[in-house]
Amino acid sequence: MSIWNYVVTAHKPTNVTHSCVGNFTGPQELNLIIAKCTRIEIHLLTPQGLQPMLDVPIYGRIATLELFRPHGEAQDFLFIATERYKFCVLQWDAEAAEVITRAMGDVSDRIGRPTDNGQIGIIDPECRLIGLHLYDGLFKVIPFDNKGQLKEAFNIRLEELQVLDIKFLYSCPKPTIVVLYQDNKDARHVKTYEVALKDKDFVEGPWSQNNLDNGAALLIPVPPPLCGVLIIGEGTIVYCSASAFKAIPINPSITRAYGRVDADGSRYLLGDHAGLLHLLVITHEKEKVTGLKIELLGETSIASTISYLDNAFVYVGSSYGDSQLIKLNLQPDAKGSYVEVLERYVNLGPIVDFCVVDLERQGQGQVVTCSGAYKDGSLRIVRNGIGINEQASVELQGIKGMWSLRSATDDPFDTFLVVSFISETRILAMNLEDELEETEIEGFCSQVQTLFCHDAVYNQLVQVTSSSVRLVSSTTRELRNEWHAPSGYSVNVATANATQVLLATGGGHLVYLEIGDGYFRFHDLNLITKEHLGGEIIPRSVLLCAFEGISYLLCALGDGHLLNFLLNMNSGELTDRKKVSLGTQPITLRTFSSKNTTHVFAASDRPTVIYSSNKKLLYSNVNLKEVSHMCPFNSAAFPDSLAIAKEGELTIGTIDDIQKLHIRSIPLGEHARRICHQEQSRTFAISSMKYCQSNAEETEMHFIRLLDDQTFEFISTYPLDQYENGCSILSCSFSDDTNVYYCVGTAYVMPEENEPTKGRILVFIVEDGKLQLIAEKETKGAVYSLNAFNGKLLAAINQKIQLYKWMLRDDGTRELQSECGHHGHILALYVQTRGDFIVVGDLMKSFSLLIYKHEEGAIEERARDYNANWMSAVEILDDDIYLGAENNFNLFTVRKNSEGATDEERGRLEVVGEYHLGEFINRFRHGSLVMRLPDSDVGQIPTVIFGTVNGVIGVIASLPRDQYIFLEKLQANLRKVIKGVGGLSHEQWRSFYNEKKTVDAKNFLDGDLIESFLDLGRSRMEEISKAMSVPVEELMKRVEELTRLH
Amino acid sequence: MGSLLGDWPSFDPHNFSQLRPSDPSNPSKMTPVTYHPTHDRTLPPPNQVISSEAKNILLRHFYQRAEEKLRPKRSASENLAPEHGCKHPRASASDTMPT
Repeated sequence: MSIWNYVVTAHKPTNVTHSCVGNFTGPQELNLIIAKCTRIEIHLLTPQGLQPMLDVPIYGRIATLELFRPHGEAQDFLFIATERYKFCVLQWDAEAAEVITRAMGDVSDRIGRPTDNGQIGIIDPECRLIGLHLYDGLFKVIPFDNKGQLKEAFNIRLEELQVLDIKFLYSCPKPTIVVLYQDNKDARHVKTYEVALKDKDFVEGPWSQNNLDNGAALLIPVPPPLCGVLIIGEGTIVYCSASAFKAIPINPSITRAYGRVDADGSRYLLGDHAGLLHLLVITHEKEKVTGLKIELLGETSIASTISYLDNAFVYVGSSYGDSQLIKLNLQPDAKGSYVEVLERYVNLGPIVDFCVVDLERQGQGQVVTCSGAYKDGSLRIVRNGIGINEQASVELQGIKGMWSLRSATDDPFDTFLVVSFISETRILAMNLEDELEETEIEGFCSQVQTLFCHDAVYNQLVQVTSSSVRLVSSTTRELRNEWHAPSGYSVNVATANATQVLLATGGGHLVYLEIGDGYFRFHDLNLITKEHLGGEIIPRSVLLCAFEGISYLLCALGDGHLLNFLLNMNSGELTDRKKVSLGTQPITLRTFSSKNTTHVFAASDRPTVIYSSNKKLLYSNVNLKEVSHMCPFNSAAFPDSLAIAKEGELTIGTIDDIQKLHIRSIPLGEHARRICHQEQSRTFAISSMKYCQSNAEETEMHFIRLLDDQTFEFISTYPLDQYENGCSILSCSFSDDTNVYYCVGTAYVMPEENEPTKGRILVFIVEDGKLQLIAEKETKGAVYSLNAFNGKLLAAINQKIQLYKWMLRDDGTRELQSECGHHGHILALYVQTRGDFIVVGDLMKSFSLLIYKHEEGAIEERARDYNANWMSAVEILDDDIYLGAENNFNLFTVRKNSEGATDEERGRLEVVGEYHLGEFINRFRHGSLVMRLPDSDVGQIPTVIFGTVNGVIGVIASLPRDQYIFLEKLQANLRKVIKGVGGLSHEQWRSFYNEKKTVDAKNFLDGDLIESFLDLGRSRMEEISKAMSVPVEELMKRVEELTRLH
Repeated sequence: MGSLLGDWPSFDPHNFSQLRPSDPSNPSKMTPVTYHPTHDRTLPPPNQVISSEAKNILLRHFYQRAEEKLRPKRSASENLAPEHGCKHPRASASDTMPT
């Protein structure tokens, strides 16, 4: 049963919704603060650029973000209000390096209609009050007292019901707001009000301005000395104050974001819907505004927020494309642009659709998303784990060990690759043709297995075999010295560095040698520390290494477990023992370096790279099935490469950047909305939309495009008709036909129609890399979904579910023929099938379950969920449990009640799980981001991947009941230890919430909270361990395993 | 144009002075530490847990009006008060947001 689900983020939100600049972390420190829906990021401006400081999860969707400076404070406070009507005021405590809460509260009203145009939160520039517009017709005031403390909030009636924007005016004796609103004749005006705090009411303000631009939607308050406000429209920009009115026409555009440049408010950056960046200048003389000027600077990502940073650097946050760090140049470049893009910050949002494919055929899922919108649309290939880019390989069976050696101590490159087998040792080297060729090192013993090899000082090489240690000149390759194991004893294990050799012989003897110029010197060893590992499993590999300046001892066991300890280099003391499970077979540990950083490669049946980030050890899968040995091999021909022994093969390859998720971006310049992969033709098909701007006339064109699944190049395009949108896409085959087709569902979106009344189903075949239209069928509405169903095609068309047969005509051509259908939906948007069952996600009416009856050739309703959920995605978890996401950012599961006693009971889908995700899910897909090994614990857990508007990729894992109960207890304990920033409650945040009800989350766990256990300090872990009566090591191991799900 | 573009504000001339422009086609990989507070100051001082005035805005409006109207007319007959009371809701209801 898939009732018990675990929800975890594999890729955090990247959609930047707000940003601001101020002195948050210190009076002298300038910070950029970015909101990414449910997280804020604090950055520090430094000579090297933006330095990320902290990623702060917020238990809410951020509606407003403002920095402000209360009277008498040396640094700025951060005001955050969430969509669920909570707010908090945060302060940075530099001494403790903690975010502390100065104030928080609930500003919800029991009655009131939430605003259509989003929530507004503003702070009076003189810090007299915080103003909120959350419900139509109400303006909420949170006053400050004269000590800067917040007081009880109250509402003021706001006459204007359709508010577009509200801002505080600068330098007013009484706090004064300016309101941009639309009247019931759709005309737009601005009006000012003074807030009378004592009377809790508005007083008519100093001025107003009627009949503005019809597209006016943004107000920019101008600071002193000029004061007043800028009103940004789609065709004009107006400056307005009590004494002045200036206007300029602009090219038609929708301004999405602005950033003030100068403290005196004379220049502003404006970002529009097409990604164009303009500079708006208020010209003035003697503090009197004389006019406005606007200049095009260049193009950026479509901005959702703009923050001027310092010294001509500007942060452009985007919801539709990658966010950017840009520089404003004094001189235009060759294309006439003053904008130089210096950094790009990945944004996957909005993920409109995605598919899970195994492009490299390694059993490793990759997610290919339709990301971004408008001109910033792209495909993103998201892959977990670290890839090896194979450069050369030879077949070699039975490798028992590998080492690379240099021909001289100061040689920057490796020359030799020593490969050891059970009863011989072979030496490979690069020849002049840059090929690996067998060679000899005369001084080495090649008739036996090598246990260890290393470069040594004085241009020497060391070889350890079971009987001796040989010291060989790397220039003459001749033997210089040899140490023989005492008779009756053989060497079992050995290690060495440039000056030392340590080996163990039978009988439990350790021998330590120091390497001189042609000789060995003996030393005694003293035991400093002894650590009992416990258990019966033999350690197979130990390694001392330092990550980010911290020394560790790693110890790999024969059963695929790895222990790690912090090592005190002075006392030799081992502390903070941790255990993780990497695989099931013995592990061999080796260090290697990539980009000047040391990492550890753990070779086993589940090869892993161990690295450190923010002083925490992380484990990332290597995308290879099984690796028995690895050694770094940095030759002139293959710089920075690794030699890898796997499955009877020796491979030389380079390694990806060391990070968990790898994202490749394929910019399209148009908006991809549906994607589908076809294994047989090795292609992707996408449905996309391109905006074309020609002479102020904006047109959109829609295409079906075919892409090569390796190069991602467009190889064929089928343009859709005018007004025709692609709505769904599917790769499938039909009964009695061996071909595989792409089926595309469309809708004719006519400007005068509320709902489409016409659409098409197009059936294509890929021939010679081209899309060939085989059949088309007109439909009476939009084809929102297509599914392969019993060798037929199941389509969701407006209110109807329709089944089509694939029929052979007399002339040998094929056509879609309607077989049966089912009415009774508002709009059937999302359909999933399993056997003869059909699960429909409706626009407004939650789930319904239909069944196809073969004998009768009919589709009937079996059950439905009677709640009024507006669905955004559905998926079938198993025969009985269906998963849904709806437009209030909730997740829920329903269960088919086949054992119900009455028809009424059986006809009702029972809600079994509820959870507030805080993300808008556009798509669920079965699959996994990580390689699933059948014999690993997590390999048994079924998972569903989801993609959201904020660019989140998440995983929902259906856990066994025991594990769920254990983790639920852990989550409850973590809630007590890990506090919500701003005093926001985790329990409330995860409660299912819509207009009608709020209920506690059930049968879903927050994996992000549970996995943050691993970030806790030891004492906090012990606190939880005590509360749960489970050893810390066990807790860590179980949580670590869960991180392997994504 | 030059006059509009020049003279960008500078708070600290060192900021970005040593920025090494990375390849813009290769996105920046900066991962800040995730913050998990375990201290007690995530809760504000008790008097800074803000709630909204419990009194309904419409009722507050009535009381305010009633006080204003009553004050100068202390001497007026008590019969007038309910009459005024009846008038207010109608006048107010039309321009109060529907609830």
